[in-house]
Amino acid sequence: MSDDHDHDYDHHPSPWGPHDWSHGAPHNSFAPLVMSIGIGIFLYALASVFVGGEVANLGALSGVMLGIIVITIGLLIWWRQDMSFDGTYEPKATGAPFRNIDLRKIAMWVFLMSEMMVFTSLFSTYIRYRLGIPNCEEVFLSGEWIEGTSVVCFEPAAHLIASSWFHLAPGAANTFALIISSFTIVLALKTAKMSNKKYADRYEVELSDVHSHRSRKVAMFLGSTLFLATLFLTLKMIEWFVGFPTPGPLTELNHGHSEIASLYSEGYTIHASAYQHHAYDTAYHGGHEIPHDSALYSMMQAGTHPGGIMMADIRVGASTFFVTTGTHGMHVLGGMIGLSYMTFKGLRGGYGPSNAVSIEYFGLYWHFVDLVWVLVFPFFYLF
Amino acid sequence: MAHYTILGKDPYWMNFWGLMILTAIEVGAVGVELGDTITMSILIGIAIPKFIMIAAIFMHLYGDADSKILTMTALFPAFFIIVMVFFIGLTSPGAATELPAWCRPGYWT
Repeated sequence: MSDDHDHDYDHHPSPWGPHDWSHGAPHNSFAPLVMSIGIGIFLYALASVFVGGEVANLGALSGVMLGIIVITIGLLIWWRQDMSFDGTYEPKATGAPFRNIDLRKIAMWVFLMSEMMVFTSLFSTYIRYRLGIPNCEEVFLSGEWIEGTSVVCFEPAAHLIASSWFHLAPGAANTFALIISSFTIVLALKTAKMSNKKYADRYEVELSDVHSHRSRKVAMFLGSTLFLATLFLTLKMIEWFVGFPTPGPLTELNHGHSEIASLYSEGYTIHASAYQHHAYDTAYHGGHEIPHDSALYSMMQAGTHPGGIMMADIRVGASTFFVTTGTHGMHVLGGMIGLSYMTFKGLRGGYGPSNAVSIEYFGLYWHFVDLVWVLVFPFFYLF
Repeated sequence: MAHYTILGKDPYWMNFWGLMILTAIEVGAVGVELGDTITMSILIGIAIPKFIMIAAIFMHLYGDADSKILTMTALFPAFFIIVMVFFIGLTSPGAATELPAWCRPGYWT
């Protein structure tokens, strides 16, 4: 960037519009500020809409809509400004310890570190309650409950999810989907970063055709990542709210049930103060015999416990599960919005060796989302 | 971008297949009745290498010119994470009300 450019040209015609990259360094964008205001309005209004899980204030819905509109406007301005960015004037850090590293890369890492703190607080909460509140199965077997009276205990979602392969299927598929999506975004980066000559040799295309060929390929990899992210959220919605039927021949393997119930229809919700499960029914106990070395068995044998169905207050366990996996899901949704734009820009030939790092920096975020899932999946879904 | 190979192959491909295999083992371990302690050990034993593989290879914290300083940056919140996990995660829900008297408001006034 030269002083000549700064003085000779007015390259800040509008802080809202696309930048003329041939005329100097980019202006600062107001778009993130607009989006922050939009997110503020959205969250403030959203908090007023629901009371106890019910829609209580329809008027606040207009605030929610306003927030979404402001966020959308901010996003459109940002994308409009970025669409023409080809890697020119990539700002670098000048001071130690990050000298000569792209500022965007450092910023992304600092952002990810703050994200790590967010998820750590959620994990800490989970560990604290998981270890501090008696497990529902232990409470059941201890016999310290009476039918008709609710007892507070921790019911891990894994008790439902890991109870059969069918229940586990959406979560397991999601794990593979995220790993594959991490790989497809790396392939998009690799494809965008390859020099023209190497690309032409590798894919046996004319040098003049490299740009269009590369654009299609990058867009395909980014689009695949978007598809996998959509699949992830779809399966999550199925797991939470919808459930799915088990095909005829597999019904027998599913203990005779023709469908896998969603967590919602199983009663696993943040309002479940009187949760009942067949595993907490002395007459059924999940199809197993009550262990003979348990206090419940001894009490029932001695006639001091009448048996029956234990009612559990599982709100703490369900809240930690839905808040943690929901926060992760919101990050996937955020990634999908970014990927939609990047796929569009990729299709228009927006990514090449000079600005492939844009894909790398988004990829850092996306890999982080995968990284969090690596911890969420075993501890919330499997154990 | 990676400027190295793993066993002579592209590191991204190797990492991808490694992650897929580890995940398959992870899911399989839950399907087999092994007891809580063994299952938990397997899940932690698999989660750690998966975490490192994604961070090191996919997020380029290994093998790039700036990998070292960015790894240090990534590890910066480790102190706060340890504090959170040990002093919040591993206490009991009743810990706040069971604090000794000298830790409670009003004791020193």
